[in-house]
Amino acid sequence: MTRPAALDEMVDGKGGLRPHWRGLLGSFSSLGEGGLAERAQRLQRAFEEEGVTSVLPGTTLSDRIWRCDPVPLPIAAAEFAALEAGLTQRARLLEAVLADLYGPQTLLADGTLPPALVYANPGFLRPARHMTTPSRLQFYAADLIRGPDGAWRVLADRTNGASGIGYARENRRLLMRVMPEAFRTMQVRGLRPFFDIWQDSLQNLAPVGRTNPTVALLTPGTGSPPWFEHMYLSRELSCALVEGGDLTVRGGEVFLKTLRGLNRVDVLLRRLDGRMIDPLELDHGSLLGVPGLMDAARCGTIRISNDAGSGVAEAPALSAFLPALSLRLLDERLELASVPTMWLGDARARALVQQDPSCWLIRPANDGTAHAQQPASMLPADRMALLRQIEARPWDWAATAALSPSVVPCLDGDGLTPRPIVMRVFLVQDGTGWRAMQGGLARVIEDDTMLAGALPQGGLSKDVWVLNEDRGDIVGPPAVAAPTLQIHRASGDLPSRVADNLFWLGRYVERLERSARLIRATVARLARGAALLPREAVEMNSLARCLVEAGCITPELAHSTASAGMLGDALLASVREGGAIQERFMSVARLTESVRDRLTGDMYAAFTQALRAARDDCRNIGRSLDGLSHAMVSVQRYSTTVAGVAAESMVRGGGWLFLDLGRRLERAHAVTSEIAIAMDHTPSRIETGLRLVLELCDSAITYRSRYLNVVQPAPVLDLVLIDQGNPRGLAFQLVAIHGLLDELSEGGPREMFSGTAAGLLAEAETLVEGVLAAQDQALAASDLPPHLDGISKALGELSDRITRQYFALLPVVQTVGVTDDDGMAVEDVEAEMVAAL
Amino acid sequence: MKYRVRHTTSYAYARPVDLASHMLHLAPRSLPGQRVVWSDLSAEPAASRSNAAFDHFGNNVAWMFLDQRHQHFAVTVTAEVDVDFAAPPEAAETLPWEQVAQLAAAGGPGAWEASEFLFDSPMLPNEPLAMAYAAPSFRPGRPILEALLELNGRIRKEFAFKSGVTTLNTPVSRVLAQRAGVCQDFTHLMIAALRGLGLPARYVSGYLRTKPPPGAPVRRGADQSHAWVSAWMGPGHGWVDLDPTNDLVVHDEHVVLAWGRDYGDISPVRGVILGGGRHNVSVEVDLEAL
Repeated sequence: MTRPAALDEMVDGKGGLRPHWRGLLGSFSSLGEGGLAERAQRLQRAFEEEGVTSVLPGTTLSDRIWRCDPVPLPIAAAEFAALEAGLTQRARLLEAVLADLYGPQTLLADGTLPPALVYANPGFLRPARHMTTPSRLQFYAADLIRGPDGAWRVLADRTNGASGIGYARENRRLLMRVMPEAFRTMQVRGLRPFFDIWQDSLQNLAPVGRTNPTVALLTPGTGSPPWFEHMYLSRELSCALVEGGDLTVRGGEVFLKTLRGLNRVDVLLRRLDGRMIDPLELDHGSLLGVPGLMDAARCGTIRISNDAGSGVAEAPALSAFLPALSLRLLDERLELASVPTMWLGDARARALVQQDPSCWLIRPANDGTAHAQQPASMLPADRMALLRQIEARPWDWAATAALSPSVVPCLDGDGLTPRPIVMRVFLVQDGTGWRAMQGGLARVIEDDTMLAGALPQGGLSKDVWVLNEDRGDIVGPPAVAAPTLQIHRASGDLPSRVADNLFWLGRYVERLERSARLIRATVARLARGAALLPREAVEMNSLARCLVEAGCITPELAHSTASAGMLGDALLASVREGGAIQERFMSVARLTESVRDRLTGDMYAAFTQALRAARDDCRNIGRSLDGLSHAMVSVQRYSTTVAGVAAESMVRGGGWLFLDLGRRLERAHAVTSEIAIAMDHTPSRIETGLRLVLELCDSAITYRSRYLNVVQPAPVLDLVLIDQGNPRGLAFQLVAIHGLLDELSEGGPREMFSGTAAGLLAEAETLVEGVLAAQDQALAASDLPPHLDGISKALGELSDRITRQYFALLPVVQTVGVTDDDGMAVEDVEAEMVAAL
Repeated sequence: MKYRVRHTTSYAYARPVDLASHMLHLAPRSLPGQRVVWSDLSAEPAASRSNAAFDHFGNNVAWMFLDQRHQHFAVTVTAEVDVDFAAPPEAAETLPWEQVAQLAAAGGPGAWEASEFLFDSPMLPNEPLAMAYAAPSFRPGRPILEALLELNGRIRKEFAFKSGVTTLNTPVSRVLAQRAGVCQDFTHLMIAALRGLGLPARYVSGYLRTKPPPGAPVRRGADQSHAWVSAWMGPGHGWVDLDPTNDLVVHDEHVVLAWGRDYGDISPVRGVILGGGRHNVSVEVDLEAL
């Protein structure tokens, strides 16, 4: 049996252009020869620079990313209105199905639905049964294809929190910038009103009596493919972006852990699979969830949207029963049909599939995220194996008719090629009814098996344009009167995890800079080649010990037996994949991603571009020490960029405080231990050590301008340890730390950490005064290293205490009573980091 | 028969626990044939918040949340229960097992609730070896209870009761291979076998009287949490509870706590704790005939 030819969205069967495409093609032709291709390139560039898909190296999860075709999919207003009406009815129907399945289950009791679709469905969450909630579905999406007969049909219902809406919005934003002419000639409906409606509807879900409710978006975190979309949505919907670990349940209410303590959360926009949200009652291995969340939802202290168990309605086999369910539950005929689908637990359905398997796509009955299998393109042996699998457990399978989806022209080089598409449309319940986003995400189907499952992680997408008939019918939502907000200037609302990540970002960026500086100083000496003078040998030994301390090389290389060649090789290795510098890039990239929702687009772009440049330079040095030195300049430039952008663009609230605090603590620690190492020599070698100190603290020029070329211990130590005006010296860092900690503790419990910083400064001053007063300054100076090590240690302890105070360092989570193992322990990353200090 | 139940679960932690959440399936459910005269749940230290409800299966479930630091936690249920489950029907009068399977698969009136226990569950994925083990007892057309009783007896005879050779997560295939285990393993095995044949079977947790009735042999699995199988015989005869560990039909020596698809649905004390380090758990069960 051959399939009827696919319908062409642009041209009718007689070769004529469909009316709603005319304006669009007109605006394309006005771009002139090659104009469209040029716009496509600009669009591509815009995506790479600031799109939701642009990610830092080292954090990419997939090599597939979303691209946007410059040719949109236009849909006439009347046609979209019919789709919206049909999808609204389906949403109401699925809402009613969920209400029954999580309530009285009359659909099972009277045999309308076979038990396999519910009881064998992993999305049916038993702990969500009998929860009293007015509705379990507020956000619904559907994947549609248009068959050869011209009718749109639903291929998959999405009730578990469909992704893709962020990409749709991003497509529109960038397309408007790249193709302004097209938007001037066509009346395209905006997407923004949908987000306003959604935001209001989330606010309205808050339990009764909560004014100014807090809405949080629950994400699996930076490691998950839709992280970028979650970040994007949290901004569009003005809600806090949280991971399970950011939340805690106390006294039956859900709280967000912030610097100032616990902030109650009223509504949770769930973007984490329902099975994962509460390890106490659901998947006990899930560390992404919040223990006690289901209990809080059951008690009505928090509203979860969509409800934890909403995913059960995504079962592909459910499509087969929707016409009957519609009559039974709504007393209405189903207006918008599904692509013909059968549940194979039914013997007649199985017979049809056996008869001609190539007409069908085979899908798991209860898993809407699995991709379809396509008997038509299988080897006979594989096809037989699939049919045997179906025969063995027929209730596990569904079959969907293999229709040819309509094709839409896509830019291909300079010309347009028609390619098949599937379109995802999004709806939200606004409290009174369902409203569709006036647009959608269309994507090109590269392979029929990719038709039905979860949204892939990348591919070619298209903006969907709903075209207005006239200018009059643009409807925005009514403005909702929000209660007057109180003025907030404090930093206390910052989630502890974000503060933690910013603190470590500050530390790691500084650590990179320090490594680069040490490597440059070492390479400069290695490059001289010839046998080292005794003075140089002393310097090299100190540098090698500093490099060990900074984690760039292994301790053996600091021994006098190690040759210069070995050291050079080790430094080159540190910038290759797997080397210490590359590892540090990864850490910085990961931390930058994790605080991305706190950075503006420009800041993020500045951070990432400089980091990419530094990484690329490090990759391209081969075996040249010269190249290594250049690459280190690029690393230092990155660090300077971060500092500059942060200083110029970040509001002096909590986020910046922690970034700067991390940086200052790291630098204070580094300066102190480097000075201790450089001075760790006999009094006769102390001058060599002092010169190295000036070089490492980037203070040689300042020193020369003050004291010319005479190097003596007291003036050098004054400049690097206690001169508060030297930004590379210890005192400057301690004064800054003192100020930052003072600011942080303001209004909160006055833990006087800042006293520690002042105390350390006084200690350093006493040390330098002691050297100045000494008969033999060199002798006195050579006694300093143990004291300096003491200061280093105190700084480490201070960092520890800050971590405990502000980041609510969590002990290990474990489950008991479900396995025999001693709980399911998870290493606490932060705890490791503290230990690594 | 009237019993006094006492069941204590104690955790001792190596390091302090900052926050603990526990979900408890500990209070016996009321049933035809089982009257719960009274039951009481208490914890030490006391929970800062607790809550109770019926779960999806109709079991009593309770939650306890502790937000004070603690290094040990003990929860005790005491109850007085009167049991006298009706004797099963004449085996020969029950439906042929294939017909029960058909009714269960179709669902709908009279069968839909039993159908839930037909399918794989998280701890009991499809295990063809279990079905193969049971198959000789399920000859074509045989009345279901006859086959069930035979299977119940075979497990008692062919498997050694040995603690320590399995854990909560031991798969049925391993139990089959080593022909040894404890009550939970035999229960899981029998359930997997019945489901493989298309028959609804559920996991029942509860207790067995500590001292056997006068003259009866010593029971295996007393003095601890016990488990057995409930099997469906069709809409007319409903469920029958069978204890494969002791080759018994449940009558008046067992007290039912809860039932589910497998152990995971009704784990007596399930918790998530913050901190604690390594922990020791000890369980004391006493079912005293009054």
